Amino acid sequence: MNAIEIRGLTKNFGSKQALKGLNMTVPAGAIYGFIGENGSGKSTTEKLICGLMPSDGGTIKLYGKDYTDPDVRAKIGVLIEAPGCFPNMSVWGNMMLQAANLGLKKPEEEIGKVLKLVRMEGAASNKFKNCSLGMKQRIGIAMALLGDPALLVLDEPINGLDADGMRIMREVLVDITRDKNRTVLISSHILGELEKIATHYGIVRQGKMLCEMTAAELEAGCRTYISLTSSQNSRAKALLSCKYSRVEEDESEHIRVYDQAKPEEIVTYLYENGITVSEISTEKIGLEEYYIDLMKERRA
Amino acid sequence: MAQTHELKFENPSFGKRIRGMLGVDFYRLFHTPMFYIFLAIAAIIPAMIVSMTGMTGSDGAVTQPLYTNVWNIVAADSPLYIVHNIGEYANMNMVFIFGGIMVSIFIGHDYRSGYVKQLFTTHAKKRDYMISKSLVSAFSMACMCVTYLIGGVVGGMVAGLSFEVNVGSLLIAILGKMVMSLGWASLYTFLNVIFRRYFGISVAASFFIGTGIPIIGAAAIIGNNSLLNVFLYGSSVYACLSSNLVTMLVCVVVSMAWTVIYNLLGSLVLSRCDVY
Repeated sequence: MNAIEIRGLTKNFGSKQALKGLNMTVPAGAIYGFIGENGSGKSTTEKLICGLMPSDGGTIKLYGKDYTDPDVRAKIGVLIEAPGCFPNMSVWGNMMLQAANLGLKKPEEEIGKVLKLVRMEGAASNKFKNCSLGMKQRIGIAMALLGDPALLVLDEPINGLDADGMRIMREVLVDITRDKNRTVLISSHILGELEKIATHYGIVRQGKMLCEMTAAELEAGCRTYISLTSSQNSRAKALLSCKYSRVEEDESEHIRVYDQAKPEEIVTYLYENGITVSEISTEKIGLEEYYIDLMKERRA
Repeated sequence: MAQTHELKFENPSFGKRIRGMLGVDFYRLFHTPMFYIFLAIAAIIPAMIVSMTGMTGSDGAVTQPLYTNVWNIVAADSPLYIVHNIGEYANMNMVFIFGGIMVSIFIGHDYRSGYVKQLFTTHAKKRDYMISKSLVSAFSMACMCVTYLIGGVVGGMVAGLSFEVNVGSLLIAILGKMVMSLGWASLYTFLNVIFRRYFGISVAASFFIGTGIPIIGAAAIIGNNSLLNVFLYGSSVYACLSSNLVTMLVCVVVSMAWTVIYNLLGSLVLSRCDVY
């Protein structure tokens, strides 16, 4: 069963068309990385899924039911941008309000559990306004987890988190999907972090879904390249550029050869031209580079 | 991907949904200092009006008191839609102005904090939100009616005004105005839903409508017409010291009718427009 199934979704803001017939399929149990440039329609899609705005066309089905059904809405946990909490109220107080809205039978027990899960049990008595950005994001995740939701929709949850905060968030997301088989739809610009946890990806551009793939498909589809350093990098690059069609130098002064080249061929070729290769390896481009390349292609 | 556990969907009943939402709204109401400030304002204003208007000034002159009977601070002797002096205007209907401002601030906090975003992503329906806010706001205004009454009576005792009144009519007038709180609260909730992104405009709109200026203006044109009873302000004015059971019936019908209309309109706006 698919946790989210969107077909032909459209949304206009005045004359601006934010979504132009977007299609999306998120299988149940997946951690779905939702990627796109600023203004591509990620947040709009998530807000539509969460019922915060009406669509202008298309369908949204959650677990096979219409997204407005209260029974399916009761199974969704959401963090859009930042948690909606009263600043002068304590973290615990805000959590209690959400628990009451959800009609939880044992609110104290459940709140204690989710706060522990996001390592925030010590901050329960703090006023929300006194919490740091990272703490607020973790409280937002805890709030989204109240009521044991089957689907989590998270918009930029790792924004503003330090390295430790990101690690905790990553562990939490992996734990909750592994143990309870929850589905997570997560949008983020920090692709390196997303790559560590996502099982599926959807890349959106200008209100349309460019492509959807599993992590395995991304892995298989990603191009490999040869990374090398030599005694004379600039000369090596010039020589390699004559033989191969795409040769670049990255920030760490490694030369990258993207064609289907073999390392031994390159080493021999450079050696014949008086250049010694000091380091050479075959690498795969990551999600970030894949995404940037894809965007470049589309723009071209 | 294999599901390791079966998903169970339960359709939360209206009772369950509204209980949770009312619990949250009443909790917030009782824990916000603003509620107690407005209760105090509702008590202090009538006490000041009654006790200070007949006081001796610094030049030794005694000002003309606004009222001779303390119950005129609660309601006028007869339904007067056209105001001739400030004394006719200053009665328990002022609670609907204080209430309008308080409701705007209360609901404004929902939007400014992002709480609505948290709320509407759960099973909560837009209709539940309108009902819950209207009920809690009506309760707060009814409480203000009580503190207003206490303030007025204390002020009247200090000023030594007459307490002579037809008790039945007085009770109907007070109860009628308390019943009208629900209609007013629904109107303010609706206004705040419309101007949800503009806090200042919400407060200003609630204040303007709460003063009854549109009805007073209409009355200035069409005269002291009982047709005005079908409006919230008109019906609130109709609950006066010569009230009878018909007055009560009018207040109940008008309040309920406007409550239903504003709740339906508010739900429609929320479901057709972006919530956040």
